[in-house]
Amino acid sequence: MILDIDTKLLKKNAYRVTKQRGITALRIRVPGGHLNIKYFDIIKEVAEKYGNGTVHITTRQGFEIPGISMEKIDEINELISPIIRGLKDEGVQIEDEEGGYPAAGTRNVSACIGNRVCPFANYDTTALALKIEKLIYPNDYHVKIAVTGCPNDCIKAHMQDIGIIGQVEPIYDPSRCIGCQACVKNCKRRVTGALTFENFKVVRDPNRCISCGECILKCPTSAWTRGEKYYRIVIMGRTGKKNPRLAQTFIEWADEESVLKIIKNMYDFIDKYIDKTLDKEHVGYIVDREGFKKFKEEVLKDVKLPKKAKVANHIDYTGYRYERNTIYD
Amino acid sequence: MGIELDVKSFDNALKILSKKYKIFAPVRLKGKGSFSDTDLVTYGEISSYKDIELSEKSRYSPKEVIYPITQTLFYFTEDEYKEPEIDDKGIIVFLRPCDANSYLKLDNIFLKNGPYEDNYYKRLRDKVKFFVIECTKGFSTCFCVSTGSNKFLDYDVFFRFDNDKITCDVKNDEFSYAFSGKEVEFTPEFIEKNEIEVKLPDIDKISQNLEYVFNHELWDEYTKRCIACGRCTVSCPTCSCFSMQDIFYKDNPKCGERRRVWASCMVDGFTDVAGGHSYRQKYGERMRFKVMHKIYDYKKRFGTTMCVGCGRCDDVCPEYISFIKIVSKVTDAVDRGESK
Amino acid sequence: MTNVYMPRKAEIVSIIPQTDIDYTFRLKSDILPQHGQFLQVSIPKIGEAPISISDYTDEYIELTIRKVGTVTDAIHELKPGDFLFIRGPYGHGFPVEDFKNKNVVIAAGGTGLAPVKSIINRYNRNPKEIKNLNILVGFKSPKDILFEDEIKKWKEKFDVLLTVDNGDETWTGNTGLITKFIPDLKIENPDDTIVIVVGPPMMMKFTCLEFLKRGIPEKNIWVSFERKMSCSIGKCGHCKINETYVCLEGPVFNYTKSKQLLD
Ligand SMILES: Cc1cc2nc3c(=O)[nH]c(=O)nc-3n(C[C@H](O)[C@H](O)[C@H](O)COP(=O)(O)OP(=O)(O)OC[C@H]3O[C@@H](n4cnc5c(N)ncnc54)[C@H](O)[C@@H]3O)c2cc1C
Ligand code: SF4
Ligand code: SF4
Ligand code: SF4
Ligand code: SF4
Ligand code: SF4
Ligand code: FES
Repeated sequence: MILDIDTKLLKKNAYRVTKQRGITALRIRVPGGHLNIKYFDIIKEVAEKYGNGTVHITTRQGFEIPGISMEKIDEINELISPIIRGLKDEGVQIEDEEGGYPAAGTRNVSACIGNRVCPFANYDTTALALKIEKLIYPNDYHVKIAVTGCPNDCIKAHMQDIGIIGQVEPIYDPSRCIGCQACVKNCKRRVTGALTFENFKVVRDPNRCISCGECILKCPTSAWTRGEKYYRIVIMGRTGKKNPRLAQTFIEWADEESVLKIIKNMYDFIDKYIDKTLDKEHVGYIVDREGFKKFKEEVLKDVKLPKKAKVANHIDYTGYRYERNTIYD
Repeated sequence: MGIELDVKSFDNALKILSKKYKIFAPVRLKGKGSFSDTDLVTYGEISSYKDIELSEKSRYSPKEVIYPITQTLFYFTEDEYKEPEIDDKGIIVFLRPCDANSYLKLDNIFLKNGPYEDNYYKRLRDKVKFFVIECTKGFSTCFCVSTGSNKFLDYDVFFRFDNDKITCDVKNDEFSYAFSGKEVEFTPEFIEKNEIEVKLPDIDKISQNLEYVFNHELWDEYTKRCIACGRCTVSCPTCSCFSMQDIFYKDNPKCGERRRVWASCMVDGFTDVAGGHSYRQKYGERMRFKVMHKIYDYKKRFGTTMCVGCGRCDDVCPEYISFIKIVSKVTDAVDRGESK
Repeated sequence: MTNVYMPRKAEIVSIIPQTDIDYTFRLKSDILPQHGQFLQVSIPKIGEAPISISDYTDEYIELTIRKVGTVTDAIHELKPGDFLFIRGPYGHGFPVEDFKNKNVVIAAGGTGLAPVKSIINRYNRNPKEIKNLNILVGFKSPKDILFEDEIKKWKEKFDVLLTVDNGDETWTGNTGLITKFIPDLKIENPDDTIVIVVGPPMMMKFTCLEFLKRGIPEKNIWVSFERKMSCSIGKCGHCKINETYVCLEGPVFNYTKSKQLLD
């Protein structure tokens, strides 16, 4: 049997080169990690008919169906067309519904379960993930984005190129406060200790408050209520071999519109500065090379941030490099 | 005899009444629920039919209208005590029978307990006109029939809201001028059966077996389950406890105020006395104290059960503790204990 | 409408320190309370505190106040000529009419002496009102002793037993808890003897039990309770025990009632 396959195209089509010759695996995108159950039948069919009857749940919240013969790719792409159409119906720009996934560089936008279920979540994470998906997919640039409902960061937005963390401005009505201090004790114990109790009322230190909204949840009288929704954007976190590190805060108190625009602008930045001699270059390394200032200028182009927004002047990345050798005796 | 109104004539009545009255009803505050993208249904001022929210039980009760969470008793300037003025408008409250009855329960504490009437309560309470909302279905945690609070006949005006068809019975002639419409046959109805039926304990049996009920093991599990957050008492239309607070203003320490603020027997600090001592440290003991107040102590003092069966305490408990279940357990224990 | 929370101004005429932290404040006032009643005492912008009336005449009242927190600290800063704000008197005191011609035993622990001091002074002025008065007072240590001068005066007319839990080098008097002395107390006719017990909760509990052992009928024993109080007029709920409001029905209770105040 002759196997003459353009692996670049194969990968772009969301299949992978595996350790077993001629055998591939398909990754199903699940934007926002929330999938209509009707697609399960298709995933099941692919796994049973073409794969080895198993499915792997990826760290980015997709499904990876292993054990597929490379020869069957066209058939499978046709079979999964309802899933692709589903994306299209959500507004994602896809031309050929029958051709499988048009790109795989920009990864599935993952999300914690968000306020459809979780009481802590400050917004509907799946909905935002879908909006982002619409904006950036299909795209070959290697970018990882995740959105999370609150600073608990269950989706680990801090390990992404762009992480979006839900914020809420807690609004205090002193006339409704009975001084039970549930909010104060909780913020001290579980969050950052931004609240103090003075003169029988609660005082919030806006510099310590991370706008998680726990005080609102704890208040028996609704003395704390929800103000506007905002987002904290953390950037350039990563795992990977060279220099793993947590993302750092780029902007606090951004609104949804700015979040989307900034993400969009980041693709222009990549386009402009990517090292085209390489096979692929991860956005984090581009920023490392070009500098945060340039990145900031480019991504904030035409962005109208809310008045409250705060933008980082510079970012000190920690993370580590293996050659430092400091962790050994 | 009743009067049939449409939304327009109802709104018109509100407009007329608003010249002399502040009008309160359950309202929906968009996005003000504790969880994101949820609403808060609570009591607030209204100016039109569409402001009234009837599809959900209000999380907080109408007691705030006559007994605000924070109420200034005195303003201090140097050493002068000055009583705050109040609005001279009257108060109209749209409420269901259970909540209307809760006002009578509060009356017992603020007006009839001990030799003095609470003047701050009285001056608001005296203004109240009851605009009772017909409630024949209730909600899933209501048990007003069991507590005998399903009826309220002493209303000023009674309303049936049937989608956008409104029928009212104006009992207090003072309000006849505001409502005009077609005269129709109308008999106010009250709910006769809730989804939940609770047998309240016999208080004489408790009195005879007080130590048995107090030391019963049924309270123990709440020491572990309850988190002493106070939500149940804050949302309860009949809880009336408060603490006094004196403060001076930060920007002008010579001036300040004395106020009272709701308190809860479930929350830490309620019984703290000098020397760091406090009573009922175990949450199970607090639960006993609260439940017994609602179904026993108060009845012993005033001859009527404090709890009106609105079910809010069950609705709001984050730990899924059911007051209703506890009441049944007490009744059970009392009945069994007595037969022993 | 009368404002039941409105206090009146009362001038401090003199201040008599009893210990480092207990001062007696004499206020100009014509209040004639029952023995064992209390006032709500306040300083604007600082707060209110319930305080027993420890003595009175028709010209003044006395309050003996221990410095333990916000309000009491601030009161201790005041000087003669300054004003306190008071409302009351509140609650039910001791039914002294019923004590006439009886043997009376008063057992007081620490600041518990304050609410009964006025009764002792009443009997000191009219010893004939009762058959006989026996006083037992206990304090933690010699430096905690309150009303030393008055205790001396009482000793001239009545049997007074003063004890401290722990003595020091200079202490030559009795040591040990009050309960230690009850078994040997001379009680002629228990049915004709009234016992008043006031002090910290544990002291009251065990002292009452000792007196019951001596055959004093429950209905002859009287106690005074201290509970957190905010309003003192039956509204705030802080002092409630079962269906009983300490501020209304108490702070003085007959033992037959107080033993039912489960908490
Ligand atoms: C009927 C009655 C009679 C009393 N008589 C006297 C008396 O004659 N002399 C005297 O020194 N004290 C007396 N007390 C106790 C006195 O009221 C408290 O010590 C005082 O309220 C403490 O107030 P604060 O602001 O100084 O202390 P805070 O700063 O309020 O607190 C200090 C401690 O006292 C507790 N406390 C607060 N309010 C009260 C309260 N209302 N009652 C008890 N503890 C409280 C606090 O929880 C805290 O543990 C009496 C109390 C009662 C109920
Ligand atoms: S939002 Fe979070 S950090 Fe801010 S005060 Fe509330 S609990 Fe504390
Ligand atoms: S939880 Fe609410 S009522 Fe309690 S102290 Fe905080 S703001 Fe006040
Ligand atoms: S105890 Fe519960 S059911 Fe009864 S009145 Fe209060 S909130 Fe309603
Ligand atoms: S249940 Fe507790 S908070 Fe409610 S009225 Fe009774 S004592 Fe007060
Ligand atoms: S709401 Fe529930 S957890 Fe909170 S105090 Fe009441 S019973 Fe306890
Ligand atoms: S002190 Fe307020 S009710 Fe007794």
